[in-house]
Amino acid sequence: MNSSIQWISWVKHGVVFGYLIAMYLFLISTAVGAHLVTYFTGRYYQDEDFLPLEKVGTFLPWLILLLMPSLLLVDMTHPERFYTMFYHWNWTAPVAYGVYIIPLCILTYALHSFYLFRPEMMLAVREDRAGSGLYRFLLWGGIEEGSATEIRQRQQKSQNLWANLTLVFSFLALLYVGLRLSSFKGRVMVHSMATVFIFLSLAASSGTGFMILLGRLKTAIAPPPGPALAKQNRFLADFGGILKYALVAQFAIWFVYLIQLGFTGSGGNLAAYIFLGGPRAVQFWFFQLVIGLILPLALMCFQSLRENPLASLVAGAATMIGAFFAVANLSIGSQLIPLTHLQWEQMAPEPFKTAFGLVIMAILLALFLVSYKILPYEKPVAQKSEA
Amino acid sequence: MKKFGKDMDRREFLRGLGTTAAALGTGAVILQTGSIAQAATPIKKYGMVIDTNRCTGCHGCSIACKSENNVPEGVYRSWVKQIIKGEYPNVRSCLLPRLCNNCEDAPCLNYCPTGATYRTPEDGVVHVDREKCVGCHTCVLACPYNSRFVNPLTGTADKCDFCYHRITKGLLPACVDACTGRARIFGDMNDPQSEISLYMAKYPIQGIRTYLDTKPKVHYVYADEAILDLDYSFLSRRKS
Repeated sequence: MNSSIQWISWVKHGVVFGYLIAMYLFLISTAVGAHLVTYFTGRYYQDEDFLPLEKVGTFLPWLILLLMPSLLLVDMTHPERFYTMFYHWNWTAPVAYGVYIIPLCILTYALHSFYLFRPEMMLAVREDRAGSGLYRFLLWGGIEEGSATEIRQRQQKSQNLWANLTLVFSFLALLYVGLRLSSFKGRVMVHSMATVFIFLSLAASSGTGFMILLGRLKTAIAPPPGPALAKQNRFLADFGGILKYALVAQFAIWFVYLIQLGFTGSGGNLAAYIFLGGPRAVQFWFFQLVIGLILPLALMCFQSLRENPLASLVAGAATMIGAFFAVANLSIGSQLIPLTHLQWEQMAPEPFKTAFGLVIMAILLALFLVSYKILPYEKPVAQKSEA
Repeated sequence: MKKFGKDMDRREFLRGLGTTAAALGTGAVILQTGSIAQAATPIKKYGMVIDTNRCTGCHGCSIACKSENNVPEGVYRSWVKQIIKGEYPNVRSCLLPRLCNNCEDAPCLNYCPTGATYRTPEDGVVHVDREKCVGCHTCVLACPYNSRFVNPLTGTADKCDFCYHRITKGLLPACVDACTGRARIFGDMNDPQSEISLYMAKYPIQGIRTYLDTKPKVHYVYADEAILDLDYSFLSRRKS
């Protein structure tokens, strides 16, 4: 019908949520996913030697969540009014929930991290080790007696409370990012519960990839003593196994999602076309599918490669790149479908915003690596010999 | 709550947390329900009917709107879509004047996190409070009609509000006043004797994306289906 139509005049509206918001959504899902994966594997292993990785999976996501709202602020045209969201609460707006959920995530992650590091920090203060000044400040003077294990046993109740609360708010944060996109009425690409499941699967795979990447970097930068290192390497290899299944789940969810789109009228077909042959095809086929899904899946299928640090690093990084493009494809792709005319909406270049996002990511990586040198991730050697 | 960290009783803490959340939630729901109930039963219901048979495509409405509301270049509160349909010699020009629908169940209002988008309860018109808007763009994406934009001058969300400063003084919106073909009929849809109500009773009414159930208050008469409901498959059949 439209083949004989010429468009004479219309208005183009462009893309309002660009790469910065995609980074924001990706970082939330990665941080929360990393923490959830660590939380559950930690409960599964119940091993003291897993604690350093639990610290990686709690403290580093906390850093991400702490810096990530800056992306949202830079994307706003009036960031100076951001605080008004806290008291002009609109209960039908998904963002209004995020305004509370993300700070509560930050708070619970901070307290959970504090209790994870607390015994080792106390030991370092008592033995006047390097960094004891910082630790004394963080501990606020309350130094207890006993070994790290004894202190940990005494604080178990509080540690568990905050750990469990991180679990609650992590799931809420994941629901928030999913609903933030899926609630947009009339945006056929994202307006379904499939978006929420996509974010759950992305969080699982990207979070596991993050743990493998940052866990391997930790063992390289601040290696634990011999037997603990062997155990941590085994845990990290096991993360490879989790990543394999998370990627399979992600593949399955995307497959079902694309099939669903095919049965959602002409708008759904067009949404699927955006991924498969339209404006986001390169990002979908190359970055999301080949780099983000097939490559890490191929690497993590073999036990020898899961144990190989380089192969796991590549798999972790590739998974995260793929997850980022998956989020970007969903977020940006959903806005490319025109609502009032028959030409793709165009995304105006945002060099400042994109550069800002990359700078924040670089700062985060630097902070992660510095924290490995500053904070007591491992059990102190002296305490180990005590045990 | 007992001493933080050491002697905390989990049950007690969770009970306190639950009670506080329940109290806050109940309060918020009561407040919100009150405002919704107030907004859902406006005394007046301003709306517009556009008879596309009368539209000549002069774009007078777009210019009048820009001039009246100081709308910057590149963005529009009111604009006219135009297509040429068919093949020579059976060619037809179709026009569709567009503006914010001021929906009764407006997604932009529902998704605004700061309450900057609000509805005046006495007439149901949807507004943007420039002092409250943080420029998060959520409403722009939430509008299924692409009727919103971020004003480059103010940095806040912007859209048509039926020239509220005019209609509250008994004047017609600028676009209605400027319409050379008298295609736009504006008025109170709750008043059965108003011109708009009589027009709506007389002619079959159309709307854009009515299946979304947002209850738009801008209606069309004699609009061509090809311009009203887009056939998206056209885009996937050609190179982007």
